[in-house]
Amino acid sequence: MLSIKNLQAEIEGKQILNGINLEVKAGEIHAIMGPNGSGKSTLSAIIAGRQEYQVTAGSITFNGKNILEMSPEARACEGVFLAFQYPIEIPGVSSINFLRTAINERRKYNGLEPIEATDFLKTMREKMELIKMDKSLTSRSLNEGFSGGEKKRNEIFQMAMLEPTLAILDETDSGLDIDALRLVSEGVNKLRNKDNAFVVITHYQRLLDYIIPDFVHVLYKGRIVKSGDKSLALELEEKGYDWIKNEVEQVNN
Amino acid sequence: MNLQEQIQHDFRKYLAHENNDSSEIFAQLRHKAIAEFEKTGLPNIKNEEWKYTNLRNISSLSFNSSSDISNNAKKLLNENSLNAIKANHLVFINGRFYNDLSNIIENDKSIIISNLETERKNNSVHLEKHFGKYAKIEGEGLNAMNTALLNDGVFVYVPINQKVEHPILITNIVDATEFNVLSQPRNLILVEKNSSVQIIENYLSTGINASFTNVVNEIFVDENAKVEHYKIQQQCGESYQNNFTQFFQNTSSNINQVTLTLDGALIRNNLHFYMNGENCNSLLYGFYLTEKNNHIDNHTRVDHASPNCYSDEKYKGILKDESTAVFNGKIIVHVDAQKTNAYQRNQNILLSETATINTKPQLEIFADDVKCTHGATIGRLDDEQLFYLQSRGISKDSARRILLNAFADEIAERIKIPELVQILEAEIEKKL
Ligand SMILES: Nc1ncnc2c1ncn2[C@@H]1O[C@H](COP(=O)(O)OP(=O)(O)OP(=O)(O)O)[C@@H](O)[C@H]1O
Ligand SMILES: [Mg+2]
Repeated sequence: MLSIKNLQAEIEGKQILNGINLEVKAGEIHAIMGPNGSGKSTLSAIIAGRQEYQVTAGSITFNGKNILEMSPEARACEGVFLAFQYPIEIPGVSSINFLRTAINERRKYNGLEPIEATDFLKTMREKMELIKMDKSLTSRSLNEGFSGGEKKRNEIFQMAMLEPTLAILDETDSGLDIDALRLVSEGVNKLRNKDNAFVVITHYQRLLDYIIPDFVHVLYKGRIVKSGDKSLALELEEKGYDWIKNEVEQVNN
Repeated sequence: MNLQEQIQHDFRKYLAHENNDSSEIFAQLRHKAIAEFEKTGLPNIKNEEWKYTNLRNISSLSFNSSSDISNNAKKLLNENSLNAIKANHLVFINGRFYNDLSNIIENDKSIIISNLETERKNNSVHLEKHFGKYAKIEGEGLNAMNTALLNDGVFVYVPINQKVEHPILITNIVDATEFNVLSQPRNLILVEKNSSVQIIENYLSTGINASFTNVVNEIFVDENAKVEHYKIQQQCGESYQNNFTQFFQNTSSNINQVTLTLDGALIRNNLHFYMNGENCNSLLYGFYLTEKNNHIDNHTRVDHASPNCYSDEKYKGILKDESTAVFNGKIIVHVDAQKTNAYQRNQNILLSETATINTKPQLEIFADDVKCTHGATIGRLDDEQLFYLQSRGISKDSARRILLNAFADEIAERIKIPELVQILEAEIEKKL
């Protein structure tokens, strides 16, 4: 589904990604871990189409299409979704209208008629129920004045509404309380099927107890330096990153 | 002939026929005003209040005072989207009142909705008492010019304890199809105790020639009276406008004023409030959308001359292309005006590198127990907000429009007449 080959990228002349290779197939869950500043959010932003970063080498294909050439909105319509690490507040834009517009633009892209108002409301109720999101949040401006956890939950709610084929969750667990973490994880598990895939960026093994990854990757200095199964996350939880950093330094020397 | 000479010439012409109307107060005022105009002249950029707005283009124009109107004006009137409002509609073209094109639906009660010229012929006591009492001419060349040679305008009198059911819609059209047009509307609106009225001033234009609309509004709002006042400016092409509005408020009066400036080559608004009694409420909101080389200048002045009054001001602008906007908001808290609450904000979004905004809040506070805040922001559309919307599948164009509409919404919310909100939305849709 997603195939990243030798991806290199920079911002303001500063190299951040140094040749990322990643293959994600339908039905899989990949976890990406790694120290602060290693490039995890940069990678997800580049997949979603943020233009500020300059891709200097490599390729990203999604379902066989080169998405580096596509606008962010086209990628979203193709089925890519990014749950932001720091969702931005958009005062004055109603959450409901925003969601309806997003859904309809995607439907239009796929040659479908706009969603019926009743269907929209019904889906909204179901998905809110799924992650127990407070109804009052959708009647407010998008993320405006939301608490940290509410913003994260709203990202997952949007994901549930948009039903992407590839969802990248950038530290969605940070800021969620214990119950919310469980609900959000359960939500993800319910949305999971053989045709979609998840890339979960996290610092904490705990999330991976709920959302069980098929692969765990460690990103360090803009490179995936280690990959393994879910036991790698446990090992990291126990030992930290130093041993991996050491391994990398040794190879470099 | 430049404008200054033209005014003097027109005044001599007026003098030749003066005995027609020498009986009344207008004559006296006209004489005083022409003297003031000759002394003060047109404002120029050496005047601190006119530093950013240059009337050079206007002062060198010559105008023709033809009274013929073309079919274009009638067409414009018929297509006017405000026609959908059930209103007392008064139509002025090139400053003259057109009774046959107007439709006054509430003239039954003691309420007077008419034109100034009719009221003048009736030797109105209201004019005697109020006309020229609020809009200052000393040092105000353009007000003096209007007073000396005013065409006509709306006269409204709402007696005590009355509510005008339907809005009063004043459509001012300049028809510059044949010649350059000078139009000088003059409106006087009197709202007595406990009464209320909604007023819409609508400015339109047609024709390829230049026009200068020089308006003076005097609005007297007595105790506990309520006025909703909307100004919609959408004159196109080479049209210039100076719009002076003075509200004079007595105790516990309420004003909600919204100015929408959507088109015009050069517009200068002077919006003044004078709080003559306690517990007055004045809300003033504005939205301007500028493009090409439009120049839009909003000068506002709120005189907190009495204690316990509240004013809230918010002006927002979106600037495109090489356009320029000016915002200058003056709040004057007089010596005795304790417990004043005055708020003012100006926010701008620049959509191009070449657009310019000059914004300046001015607080002059002479009382000690007051709450005043002000602030101005100038920014661009937020890239991160755009990206967020796009990342959900919304096209860049829609995302821009969503954000700009959200920006304008705060002003739109202050408009209680849905048709006006629609005009605003349509204009944003069209231009952005
Ligand atoms: N706009 C930018 N300008 C300059 N440097 C940037 C920019 N964006 C990211 N960087 C740098 O790129 C590096 C990678 O940042 P990124 O946000 O991708 O890290 P991360 O792995 O997500 O970290 P964290 O775990 O703290 O979220 C950091 O050193 C960061 O400072
Ligand atoms: Mg990050």
